[in-house]
Amino acid sequence: MYITQLLFIVSNMFQDSTDVTPVDTLSQVYSDKWITAVNQGEGLFASFMSSNNLIFVVLGVTLIIWTVLIVYLTRVDKRVTMLENKLNNLSNEA
Amino acid sequence: MKFWKYLIIVWMSLVIIGGFLIQIPFIPVLEQTARNLFFHVPMWMAMYIMFLISFYHSINYLRKANWSDDIKAQAAAQTGFVFGICGLMTGSLWARFTWGTWWTFAEPKMNLAALALMIYVAYFMLRSAFDESKKRARISAVYNIFAVSTIPFLLYVVPRQLTSLHPGADGNPAFSEITAAELRFILYPAMVGFIALSCWVYNITYRAYRVKYISEQIIRNPL
Repeated sequence: MYITQLLFIVSNMFQDSTDVTPVDTLSQVYSDKWITAVNQGEGLFASFMSSNNLIFVVLGVTLIIWTVLIVYLTRVDKRVTMLENKLNNLSNEA
Repeated sequence: MKFWKYLIIVWMSLVIIGGFLIQIPFIPVLEQTARNLFFHVPMWMAMYIMFLISFYHSINYLRKANWSDDIKAQAAAQTGFVFGICGLMTGSLWARFTWGTWWTFAEPKMNLAALALMIYVAYFMLRSAFDESKKRARISAVYNIFAVSTIPFLLYVVPRQLTSLHPGADGNPAFSEITAAELRFILYPAMVGFIALSCWVYNITYRAYRVKYISEQIIRNPL
């Protein structure tokens, strides 16, 4: 049952029909819960993140992706350097 | 790891933070997606630079027949291709929420960009079709020179002659005085940053292919 619901949601996501007025069922069902979630601005961090229409959350997501990519790229770079050194030692010995 | 790579990490982090946080003027239809300019456009700039590097090394290969030029051309073309795919995907997503569709065949720049990338797919397939490395290097260098020379026509000359929603059509420059000046403060550093990032990816790709080539030579002719 869940799979059919998921398929329905996914197929709706990619529908480009403009004649159908989009019905925001999600916020109708969840809006009460969302309001409490958004207003959890008690701590300094939480209130900062929920300011400015939540743009900082998007920034946070982007920075996480960027950090992971950079860590990965750095590690691959170091691994290639290691291989190069190994190869150089091999040709020096011969 | 070299100094300039650390510089890229710091520079690009600042560009991303700045791109999200600067105040931008309200532009109808675009709204906050105007910030995509900082990320979508530099993808293509990085791709052009990588394809130019690839072009240079392909010519050099035909002149001098050094194996390293062949590998450099391949690594640069691959890196450029990856950035081009990113540009195409980000453009498609942006189009969905500003033009109203993921993809339209009425939009010349979109389709010609996809065509340009397909020409590069053919380059990688051509490379994989040869067993003998010298033959592969020579023929793929010739093909690559052709492939690069199509890029300015597919992405600049032809789209500007046609009607299109994409900026840079109807004989107009893509980035003119109608674009808000503030956007340039992030756009230009972002271009520099992403081009430098593509150079880093190219550097790693090239070195990995170089290690592969040399170790294959050693396996064939033990020291």
